[in-house]
Amino acid sequence: MTWLRGYAVLYLVFLYAPIVLLPIFAFNDSTIIAFPLSGFTTQWFTEIPNTPALVKSVQTSLIIAVTTALLSTTLGICAARAGAKYSFPGKAPMLGFIMLPLVLPEIIVAVSLLVVLLALGLPLGGWTVILGHTLICTPFCIAILNSAFGNLDASLEEAAFDLGETRWSTFRLITLPLVMPGIISALLISFTISLDEFIIAFFLTGTEPTLPVYLWGQLRFPQKIPVVMALGTILVALSVILLTIAEIARRRGIARAGGKDTGGFL
Amino acid sequence: MKDTSPPPPIVSLRAVQKYYGTYHALRGIDLDIGEGEFFSLLGPSGCGKTTLLRTIAGFEDISEGTLLLSGQDMSGVPANKRPTNMVFQSYAIFPHLSVAENVAFGLRRRSDLSKQARQVMVEEALDMVGLGGYGARAAHALSGGQRQRVALARALILKPKVLLLDEPLSALDKKLREQMQNELRRLQRHVGITFVLVTHDQEEALIMSDRIAVMFEGEIAQLADPQTLYRRPLSRRVADFIGVMNFLPARATETGAEISGLGRATITPEQCPAGPLSGDCTIGIRPETMSILFGDEPAPASETRGLVHELAYYGDMTYYDILLDGVEKPVTLSMKNLVGRRVLERGETARISWDERALVAFAN
Repeated sequence: MTWLRGYAVLYLVFLYAPIVLLPIFAFNDSTIIAFPLSGFTTQWFTEIPNTPALVKSVQTSLIIAVTTALLSTTLGICAARAGAKYSFPGKAPMLGFIMLPLVLPEIIVAVSLLVVLLALGLPLGGWTVILGHTLICTPFCIAILNSAFGNLDASLEEAAFDLGETRWSTFRLITLPLVMPGIISALLISFTISLDEFIIAFFLTGTEPTLPVYLWGQLRFPQKIPVVMALGTILVALSVILLTIAEIARRRGIARAGGKDTGGFL
Repeated sequence: MKDTSPPPPIVSLRAVQKYYGTYHALRGIDLDIGEGEFFSLLGPSGCGKTTLLRTIAGFEDISEGTLLLSGQDMSGVPANKRPTNMVFQSYAIFPHLSVAENVAFGLRRRSDLSKQARQVMVEEALDMVGLGGYGARAAHALSGGQRQRVALARALILKPKVLLLDEPLSALDKKLREQMQNELRRLQRHVGITFVLVTHDQEEALIMSDRIAVMFEGEIAQLADPQTLYRRPLSRRVADFIGVMNFLPARATETGAEISGLGRATITPEQCPAGPLSGDCTIGIRPETMSILFGDEPAPASETRGLVHELAYYGDMTYYDILLDGVEKPVTLSMKNLVGRRVLERGETARISWDERALVAFAN
């Protein structure tokens, strides 16, 4: 037992030690990333808003992440509802292919998208990154929304329709409130994935880099590394908060619909 | 026997066909359901009874034929515009709404009602189903029986011309189911609305219904009141589905039949519901119409002998499987366990009394 426990502890240290180092050096009063620590400072955080290129890349990333979240969640709602409610020829392979990017290496998605875009002679820019991110985020949204729509009893919609509502008001009054936690969860997760994503953004971005791409570029300048660390700290905190909200929303939705917890990422 | 002519029809189906691709789900249904009737669609799973109910509700289109609700053609009229409401098998209680909000859901479109009027209607509906004072509760915290009642109140508050019930009691345990059978019957008499119930439980159909349509493979095999259905089934299949019936091979004679294991009997035309007999035929007899004679007790009607092959003691009743002379398959008969009455043992020979008036004849 003690051996197993030791293994588990080592495993967790290996996973999370680098992330714990991030905030430690973000508050360290030195441009050299090494122990011993030389003092506490918030200088690196205050430098963030004074770096115009950095602020610009944050804006670019936020626009891309919000658009991606909206697009992939909308597509996810359509696919999950179709999958839960209707049967049609070729349904299983179709849904399988939609889920495929989940296990496809991102580098392959990135390279093939780049090849296609160049072959079509289309200019690279924010929208090509949105395209790529929507491609990889949609399967996550479908996975989350599948559990929301799958837990929804089909006769609930029929009952509302039978009681005099229209198809649309039934969707608004019954379906939407019951799957809303799933939708919020899908929005937050796709937003987070898009915000953090590097490879696709690196390949498909034009003249305006996203935040991860900008950060990668800054690693060549050692004196900038503490600022990168500070920003990384903010990003990690933001990701953890958003993912926690997403999971809470998903669980609350299942409890509200009286269903059983069958999926989720956390 | 009861008068079986139905009151003026409120639901009327003529030559209704339903196809799912190549699957023929409803095969020429002709049916009139009267105003204020408690009507049941009874049959095994896959017989088309639920499809028929959903067709009346408007959830399924009919492929051919006509459906009239109080004289009006329903083709092209969706479920939300029909004068019917449905109680679903899963009850379909909206889990994110309170009990009162669930019951009031169908009133949303009634702009003529004041808030107070709505509240009064909801209270009345909840009182009617025995859930007075439950309005503020969260719907997902209710028990199965309570959900059922909320579903009933939610449908009945709209005063539909027809209430459709899709296996509403199948999810309840036995005790609660028996209680709800009585309550549904009482409720139907109280509101006077036509109820159309789908069930696979023949006992439930017999207890609750004014009339029953027995369905097999998309067709109505027999449409009758419970007593006629039980006593004069039109076919062996119906007889077998409704309760227990023993079948004995027989030969038609001029006045009746020569029955294996029982002997000669007179059969009246009423005992041949499917038409006059000739040649080889089958005679049906219910377990409770036969009895065992003890000691030198005289037989009230006819008498035969048999060997106790197997028995099952139920407390109030004992079911015997008896081997009759010249019959391969044992016949089942049931005896009440009256005070002082002995339970026979396996291998005993028994004197058996039977009555020719209880026989039903079927062509082979």
